[in-house]
Amino acid sequence: MEKAKITAYQLFALVLLFELGSALLVALGIEAKQDAWIVILLGMIGGLLIFFVCYRLYCFYPDCLPTEYLQKIMGKGLGKSASFLYMLYFVYLAARVLRDFGAMLLTFAYIETPLFIANTLMILVIVYSVSKGIEVLARTGELFLVFIYFLAGSGVLLVLFSGVVDLHNLQPVLENGWKPIIKSTVKETIYFPFGELIVFTMIIPYLRDSKKVRNVSIIGIIVSGISLMLVMVFNISILGVKLTERSQFPLLTTIQTIQVADFLERLDVYFMIALIVGGFFKVALFIYAAVIGTANIFTVTPPSRLCYPIGLVVLLLSMTMASNFPEHLKEGISIVPFLLHLPFQIIFPVLLLGMAYLKNRKHKKQGTG
Amino acid sequence: MPSFFKKKSSSYNKKTGQEKKKEYSSSPLSAVLEENIEYIKTQTGNSTDIVIRSFKHSPRFNTKSAIVYLKGLTDSQTVQELLIEPLMKSNPAESDPISMEDMIEGYLPLGNMEQIKDWNALFPALMSGHTIIFVDGYSVAISSATEGGEKRAVEEPRTQRAIRGSKEGFTESIETNISLVRRIIQNPSLWTETMTIGRVTKTKVTIMYLKGIARDDIIEELRKRLEKIDIDGVLESGFLEQYIEDQSISAFPTLYHSERPDAVAGNLLEGRFALFVNGTPFVLLGPVVFVQFFQSIEDYTERFYISTALRFLRVLVFFISLIGPATYIAATTFHQEMIPTQLLIAIAAQRESVPFPSFVEALIMEVTFEILREAGIRMPEAIGSAISIVGALVIGQAAVQAGVVSPAMVIIVAITAISSFATPSFSIAISARLLRFLFMISAATFGFFGMILGFIILVVHLCSLRSFGVPYMSPLAPFIPADLNDTFVRGPLWADRKRPAFISGSNNVRQSESTGRPQPEQSSEMVTDQEGDQQ
Amino acid sequence: MKRRIGIFLMVCLQLLLLTGCWSKKELNDLALVSAVGLDLNKQGKYVGTFQFVNPGNVTGSFQGGGGGQGNAVSVYSATGDNIDEISRRMATKVSRNLYYAHANLVVISDKLAKKKGVLPILDAFDRDATFRNTATVVIAHDAKAADLIKTLTAIDKLPANKVIKLLRFSERVWGASLNIMMIDVIKDLTDDGKQPLISGFNLKGSSSTGEKVSNIMQSTPQAAPVVDGLALFKHGKLVGWIDGKKARGAVWTLNKIKKTEININKKGRKEAIALEVIRQNTSISTSVKNRTAQLNVRVETEGNIGETKVPVNLKDPHVIADLEKGFEKQVKSEIKAAIKEAQAKKTDIFGFGDAVHRSQPETWKRISKNWDEDYFAKANVKVKVDVFVRRTGLRNNSFLSGAK
Repeated sequence: MEKAKITAYQLFALVLLFELGSALLVALGIEAKQDAWIVILLGMIGGLLIFFVCYRLYCFYPDCLPTEYLQKIMGKGLGKSASFLYMLYFVYLAARVLRDFGAMLLTFAYIETPLFIANTLMILVIVYSVSKGIEVLARTGELFLVFIYFLAGSGVLLVLFSGVVDLHNLQPVLENGWKPIIKSTVKETIYFPFGELIVFTMIIPYLRDSKKVRNVSIIGIIVSGISLMLVMVFNISILGVKLTERSQFPLLTTIQTIQVADFLERLDVYFMIALIVGGFFKVALFIYAAVIGTANIFTVTPPSRLCYPIGLVVLLLSMTMASNFPEHLKEGISIVPFLLHLPFQIIFPVLLLGMAYLKNRKHKKQGTG
Repeated sequence: MPSFFKKKSSSYNKKTGQEKKKEYSSSPLSAVLEENIEYIKTQTGNSTDIVIRSFKHSPRFNTKSAIVYLKGLTDSQTVQELLIEPLMKSNPAESDPISMEDMIEGYLPLGNMEQIKDWNALFPALMSGHTIIFVDGYSVAISSATEGGEKRAVEEPRTQRAIRGSKEGFTESIETNISLVRRIIQNPSLWTETMTIGRVTKTKVTIMYLKGIARDDIIEELRKRLEKIDIDGVLESGFLEQYIEDQSISAFPTLYHSERPDAVAGNLLEGRFALFVNGTPFVLLGPVVFVQFFQSIEDYTERFYISTALRFLRVLVFFISLIGPATYIAATTFHQEMIPTQLLIAIAAQRESVPFPSFVEALIMEVTFEILREAGIRMPEAIGSAISIVGALVIGQAAVQAGVVSPAMVIIVAITAISSFATPSFSIAISARLLRFLFMISAATFGFFGMILGFIILVVHLCSLRSFGVPYMSPLAPFIPADLNDTFVRGPLWADRKRPAFISGSNNVRQSESTGRPQPEQSSEMVTDQEGDQQ
Repeated sequence: MKRRIGIFLMVCLQLLLLTGCWSKKELNDLALVSAVGLDLNKQGKYVGTFQFVNPGNVTGSFQGGGGGQGNAVSVYSATGDNIDEISRRMATKVSRNLYYAHANLVVISDKLAKKKGVLPILDAFDRDATFRNTATVVIAHDAKAADLIKTLTAIDKLPANKVIKLLRFSERVWGASLNIMMIDVIKDLTDDGKQPLISGFNLKGSSSTGEKVSNIMQSTPQAAPVVDGLALFKHGKLVGWIDGKKARGAVWTLNKIKKTEININKKGRKEAIALEVIRQNTSISTSVKNRTAQLNVRVETEGNIGETKVPVNLKDPHVIADLEKGFEKQVKSEIKAAIKEAQAKKTDIFGFGDAVHRSQPETWKRISKNWDEDYFAKANVKVKVDVFVRRTGLRNNSFLSGAK
């Protein structure tokens, strides 16, 4: 574990940027048509539940990284291999986000640029930042959070001034009942983006004031959920359900509809900044978790030595994980949630919590008796 | 905050300290006057500016004495009136020869006098302008402070002008400089420590801080870093700056320098230290944070709305000078869709005849401008106007008419140039000047993508900097709400109750609660008279 | 450590050099497309006519004389089976890269719109990353799209700009036309409950004079594009035109009127009193009961008296109330006429279907397939208009009242 401390506000900023990271850009929960915003809110509640599981675990072992308390709960060998699986999971997710990001960038702005170059540049920047440690990352997060919300605020104003918002597009509410909404929540939003918060189990032990972990994270999740919901509401009300469904990046199309005073048009750069900054923090946090965890498992010091190798793995994985973008998306929608997200984000933590609970109760009994 | 300071080999310090002392062999003075004088002559190579005046004082006893001083460094009138005259005219009726002690206690009406027994102490005193008095038969010399000679008078600071505020600026003399600050902060807890740095130059360096407000660990750290320095010469505070900075490889300054006594006083009050170096009007201040480079002393004297607006302007200006040309390059070579149609057509029309890619065009113009600027700074003032005429003609007119560059590019370069002049701190302006070229390269290869990545690296780098352990980007990151009052915004002074949390220690209350916002009753909007209230 | 930094820097530098600049495009190498016209030739192939900006001639001259006298635009055309092919074939004629990001106008000929519809051509524009989905779409009414594209215009040197501005201002001031963007058309095409309605443009004068510089050297250009009617679409194909008051009625119903002017007859004089509409709000709703639909339009509008040709006592509130009724009738008749026309063509251009979708989602699922034919076309229409005359200008009664 790095010898560093972060403040509550920094944790909040990281949670928010992480959540918005790539979820901001895609049509989240569009399976439920105009009720996508409900799906996001439900996903947020699911995310809160997942967080509570993690939080209880954290409460049992407030000073340890998950890689350490896994060993305490499951025994050394088993714990180490389980945490190693988690590290692989984080690396895989980092690669996924990186691929998402690279593909998006190439689709709308840098058509002729090879994916490898775009991803390499991005990973270089990320690895450099990660090697500076969590404190620097957290401070950068603080600054960029203000920046992103400033952009978002001005973007919202511009959209409103363009007069393209038509809230009628959100009606009728619950056209097909709750079924598609629940289905979409369970299939998608609960894992992505909210369940991915599992990576923060690696970050919260750094918080200076451990009492604040719960409140800060909850506020962070709620604010991010509401932000995502608002973005989706804007997307649907401006583009309509059909166009949102067909868009690879609805937010981009939404931003492109801005036309104010014949001058402020085609503000694609807004989208690009959101894309790059969001992608940066998401990948960086995954890689940071992977680096610090791996260093912890194999007792590598200093952990920053692992940044470049793991960065390289993420880069190569991101290049080889799919042969085209639709395939990549398909994997993300139909395979990854059940094969990876479900066990790693829900089943495993819940089991772990149960074990930790039993173990600690036994412990207490022994202590008193 | 124990992790802030790297515990680097403290044993190394001690060693160098010992070595320093050994430089001159510890040799006591001789009791024979001639030997002493001869020794001085050989040591200084019989330099012509060393004045050695031998005479006999208390003529009755025929005691030989000598006065040694450096011409030009001493105030010759003082030497004449207060040293030579009293000694030569000492009462001839005296029954005993005047002893050394008598001389100090009774005869010489000078303030600062001390006895010196060792050559190691004698030479520095002599070289700094003291007058040395030898008396035959004593292996002790008297050193009297008679520094003087030519000095620049206190003038208005050249580099940091303020419209409203003190017109005094520092000079090259360290004593004057210290006194200028003392005159502002008349408080015994304004502490100073002096040391000499520079194996050859023996430059006087003074640390000044407010005891009880400045953090002791920072002062201790500063002392340590200064002691570690072992170079031959310190010609300017910039020399020291490079040795005591936390991150010397960064493009950003982690120490502030000022020519203004009021700015130094203000910073001392916030808990910073000041580092005076003899021979330069620039005083180093630390620890600093990034936002400080966007502040000017007048901000505190003007209305706070205006100051805040000006500070935002300065930040904007900084960004323009950083990414102005890069944005132009990125927009015209990668993201033409973002430029409004009419503007794009106008730019395209101008670029039709330009034979270079945008990047090369921008590079040519920027480099030309940097050359002009460099030429302008070194030029004698009389030729300065010639440079600007050439610059204006070459860049503004001829290049455009010849079709080498487009008028739009000239506009961009001009705005960038003005912006970089408008940045209040020169040291941050030159960082932007250099980074601008990096941003231009990243924009030329990857458009806005490259620029945003560059920007992220820049922010990460800024966040990773520390100045004497204080995070460079504080109070923005780490975010300290209480300190926001004096960052890019400046709240009213009465709301600025605390000193910056990271810089000053526990003693951080600036003003009592009761000071608060001044609200005289008469000026509130609806005045109800007392009687009416009572009814 | 130092070596590592060195290697890192080397890698970075190489990356920079390697990249070369894949996606880089210098302005000098771009042909800025300002407008795209699409026609159908006799063989059934698409003919694309692209208007390119000559930047030097639009902005006037900087470097010495000579500029500013050529054409502001150059026009090239190419034939192909799809839009992408046209775009590629254009490359054999144009010396630069085609750049679509500033193409603000798409003109589709009525022949093409009638025969093939707009569906097959819009996908290319929709998919392309550079093409703006905010580009204005118009239909060439009784003209070839190529002719509209070729016609040079005065004042606004870029013909594409002229068309867009014309459309925008006429929508704002008169209200019988609509500035429809690509994204709107696509949205309407995919929406079950609403069909597209696109403005038409006609070429006044002959096309052969329009493409010569001499056309704009005259104070009254011989050939100029003019706004002409609104095209009704059904399932992506052009089915008819409405114009004049009917067109304005359609725009009322769509709640797109910003300002306009309504005339009523009074005291035997035709169009005797004019109301300048300053703001209005229109809402529509639909209810479906027993297989019949009821279409409701509710208009609230405010305005000032702009002109009187007959003496009326404008000081009298009763008279004003009377006038208000007259205006209401006028607006009502325009709206009814527009809806009737759409019903005759069996195309719901107003979005009444969407209103059903919102208010009765269950019913809509059942009837959406044949909404246009079975329900919209046969629906009852109810229009309610409220006109409020607020002010009467600088004068109260006209001088006509006192004239001898």
